[in-house]
Amino acid sequence: MEFHKLSAREIASGVKEGRFTAEEVVLAAIERVKKYDGKYNSIVTLCEDEATAAAVKADEAAASGVEPGPLAGVPFVVKDNFCTSGIETACGSKMLRGWRPHYDATAVKYMKEAGAVLIGKANMDEFAMGSTTESSVFGPTLNPRDTGRVPGGSSGGSAAAVAAGLVPVALGSDTGGSVRQPAAFCGVQGMKPSYGQISRYGIVAYASSLDQVGPLTRNIGDMALLMDVLAKEDPNDTTCDAYERPSFSGALENASLAGKKIALLSGYERGSIEKPLADAIDRAAAIARDAGAEIVEARLPITMEHTVACYYMIALGDASSKLACYDGMRYGHHADGKNLSEMYKKSRMEGFGDEVRRRILVGTCILTRGYYENYFVPATKVRRMIADEFRELFKEADALICPIIPSLAYKRGLVEEDPVRMYLGDVFTTIANLAGLPSMSLNMGFTSDGLPTNVQLLAPRFGDAELLSYASLMEKAAGAPAAVDPEKEGR
Amino acid sequence: MKREVVIGLEIHLQLKTKTKLFCGCSTDYIGATPNSNVCPICLAVPGTLPVINDHAVDLAVKMGLGLHCDIQDNTRFHRKHYFYADLPKAYQITQYEHAIAQGGYLDIIADGKKKRVRLDHLHLEEDAGKLVHPTSDGRLSGAAYSLVDYNRGGMPLSEIVSMPDMNSPAEAIAYVTQIRQLARYLEVSDGEMESGSLRVDVNVSLRNADGSLGTRVELKNINSLKSIERALEYEIARQNRVLDEGGTLVQETRLWDDAAGVTRSMRSKEGARDYRYYVEMDLAPIDAKPEYVEKIRASLPEMPWDRRDRFVERYGLTLEESQQITEQREMADYYEEMVAAGAPAAKAANWARMEVQRLLREDGIDIASFPVPAKELGALIAKVEGRELSNTQAKDVLSAMYGEKLPLKEAMKKCGASGGRLTGEALKAVIEKVFAAEPEAVDTIKKGADKKGAKAKFLQGLVMRETRGSADPAEVARTLAEMLK
Amino acid sequence: MIEKMEMDAERLREVLTLSRIGLPEESYQEVLDRVNDILRLCDKMRELAHEEAEPFEWDVKKAPARRADEPVRWSGRDLFLSEAPVRDGDFFRVPRIIALEDDGEEE
Repeated sequence: MEFHKLSAREIASGVKEGRFTAEEVVLAAIERVKKYDGKYNSIVTLCEDEATAAAVKADEAAASGVEPGPLAGVPFVVKDNFCTSGIETACGSKMLRGWRPHYDATAVKYMKEAGAVLIGKANMDEFAMGSTTESSVFGPTLNPRDTGRVPGGSSGGSAAAVAAGLVPVALGSDTGGSVRQPAAFCGVQGMKPSYGQISRYGIVAYASSLDQVGPLTRNIGDMALLMDVLAKEDPNDTTCDAYERPSFSGALENASLAGKKIALLSGYERGSIEKPLADAIDRAAAIARDAGAEIVEARLPITMEHTVACYYMIALGDASSKLACYDGMRYGHHADGKNLSEMYKKSRMEGFGDEVRRRILVGTCILTRGYYENYFVPATKVRRMIADEFRELFKEADALICPIIPSLAYKRGLVEEDPVRMYLGDVFTTIANLAGLPSMSLNMGFTSDGLPTNVQLLAPRFGDAELLSYASLMEKAAGAPAAVDPEKEGR
Repeated sequence: MKREVVIGLEIHLQLKTKTKLFCGCSTDYIGATPNSNVCPICLAVPGTLPVINDHAVDLAVKMGLGLHCDIQDNTRFHRKHYFYADLPKAYQITQYEHAIAQGGYLDIIADGKKKRVRLDHLHLEEDAGKLVHPTSDGRLSGAAYSLVDYNRGGMPLSEIVSMPDMNSPAEAIAYVTQIRQLARYLEVSDGEMESGSLRVDVNVSLRNADGSLGTRVELKNINSLKSIERALEYEIARQNRVLDEGGTLVQETRLWDDAAGVTRSMRSKEGARDYRYYVEMDLAPIDAKPEYVEKIRASLPEMPWDRRDRFVERYGLTLEESQQITEQREMADYYEEMVAAGAPAAKAANWARMEVQRLLREDGIDIASFPVPAKELGALIAKVEGRELSNTQAKDVLSAMYGEKLPLKEAMKKCGASGGRLTGEALKAVIEKVFAAEPEAVDTIKKGADKKGAKAKFLQGLVMRETRGSADPAEVARTLAEMLK
Repeated sequence: MIEKMEMDAERLREVLTLSRIGLPEESYQEVLDRVNDILRLCDKMRELAHEEAEPFEWDVKKAPARRADEPVRWSGRDLFLSEAPVRDGDFFRVPRIIALEDDGEEE
């Protein structure tokens, strides 16, 4: 049976109905990783024994009459910055190479409780700082759609694993686009839920007020299923909201765009967006219009002008703080020094890569006297203005359509040439993190060269269910992306 | 030249919660195996997040209300960044710009005078771990390394920052004593300097002749009330000396060396530190709505100073007596229970201050563990008042109640005091005994040679001593006279 | 007008100390260029942010339940300690620290 073509929902119902076992599904997935992932390097740690044991246990439980969970037998991978009990969690860094946490992140725990089986850890940019998955200590991940191109980042491994059909679903983390941009590059669906929707407990932090767990899938149905499992309050994370969530899968059943106001972002140079991506926006708008939505124009002048600067100040300031705990004492890379300060400096110089060190330095700088008042504080004020701009927009509109990223998947090695251009590529993604909005990277088909095209769909904060319902309707028209066939030699 | 002394204090109180400020580890860490009272959160394991301890907020609000502060809703925690081996996150979670309790004051009594010390604020923060500096041969210096124990890391503290309103070591001591008293009254903290649940940093400067404030020096490593006094006296003398000799003072932190009796400069670069404070976004703002604050306010016991004044007014005690009795909430409770059991207020105060205190002091115990029930001691004092037994007898009875844990009735029986006063035949028997021991005196009196009555007084004294005060002196005199006829 | 606040070698040295990151002197210029690129990105934003605006805060739909004050014992301590890079018996071990609060930063 070709399990890799099944959705998570199909696998779970197959296991539940006894048409196949969790063990069969999981073994097939592991087999596939071993056979094909050499090409992509999407998975950095394969936990074969734990996965097999978990699958066997799930089958035994089902045989003894225990009701299987909504994700029974569904194999999944998580980005390497999700803490996984007893399984290496290196964050793509020499700093944490070999570190095995003693606990599961809440998101991992909820997935396992729902019957899903963790088969491995996915590659990422070091400490989630990057947009190409090239800065990992485990080496770069290649884009399954075109191995000459990067998979995006920082959750590049998660996106590539789903695109390559190694797993039906994966988890990533999104601080400034790290789920949605790789989803776009690899041609899968990726979502950053509202801030406070999913617990951050056990996600190795990049920036506390921006980080959010996000699922990557090949269809919106699976996305809603994962949201039902993941979006819950958690006593270990008090920034995770305690409100009663609606059923996300339920929201898909009565989905309708009729009478909805969908805003199209304007006010940016259409020519600055690669043509297939600009066309994708038009197509998405047409689909919405055909489904009965009213298309309106939206301008976000403050947001568009200042989001990247604002984002980098908030993100890097916080990163310099959250990455200060890596001191070489209790865990992680250690280097000897003749005094305490030298021990810290050597451990941190050797353990962190160039980009991480650079971001810590900028972050530290902007929190020092003088710079704090002139860089960091202005960013927190502009952040409020951006959030307010969206609040105004969503008084008039139900959702916003805009690009995810101005370019199709980058060719490999580009990051070294122009890092600031890379930062500017984050304009459209960072807005959702700054304002805490739910945001979807929605596949809109492929170019003639087989490169994925996509749009971004945003909704008001905590409007995650509505966002999913709109996305599902648009996916129906645009088609859900299929996995790559690794047997076929890619470009 | 006499310069005015200006003192401000920062007091850290360890809050009396069961768990640390941001994790579920126990606060009962003293004597525990190193690094046993820890968890992923207080070890700063990647991925973990702080979760505020509800009760710590309650206690901070309680203390803030006791100190007449304004309790602020929606205050934030900040991160204070610095790398040090005892600080696992490399930042301390504390309150910086907006403390939960603002302003406030404490009225102290020093050198018999009342004085108001204004407060800047009270805030919540977490404690750091501890460093140990061992050597292979057990000495505490010269080792090539230090050891870190995170058991104390994350303990809940509230820091109380005063305005520079104190002008003498005595005022500083009175302030610390009263903060400690309040913390104990409110059950907010044990307030023990010895174990470190109350720590004091002192800021001291001298006011210049032109009225301007001189250079401020911070004193650390002060571990007892006595050290506060000694460190201040030393530092004031040092600053005066430097200025008298035409020198200038530097703004610095100095460590008090208790053994040597001096303060020493820490050579730290004050200005070089940049803690990079900013809002801790892993924690939501602290919810302290007015309804909540009022609920805490309603739960407050009578404040020690109110109780002190009430005791003066209601029981007719002197301020000093009242202060002694109300120093500890348990002692004040004990006193009021004695009075309720029938002991006259003034007598009960004397017993509380003298007899009870003496026993506590002798055995080094606390009023809370004093074994004699207040009701029984009160009843005993009432009996003295009713002349059922003498003061001396009553003290014996208390000894028996305390030492042998006897109930009042049995203790009285044991001391021969249950029969009440010694009189009639029993008294005569005692007098016979005294006569037998002092035949010469008896002879002298009977011969009529006791011209000035000195011998008779001598015998009467002996009888009184023999009866342990349980006989009525008038009856003793009368009976003696009869028997000596 | 906003004040230009580019980072220079001296400032970089301070920031390296504060962040406890070692960096060979020959890499300074490259790092400074990159850091200043990012700082320059912010100039327009700095002009926009005026004094009156409130800093950002999250809206909360429903605040999570507060943590009860009940101790929980962690069972992972021995394993954690055994894997620590600088363990010494029950302790973590660091280079000797001389004075209270001296962080060994000798410059």
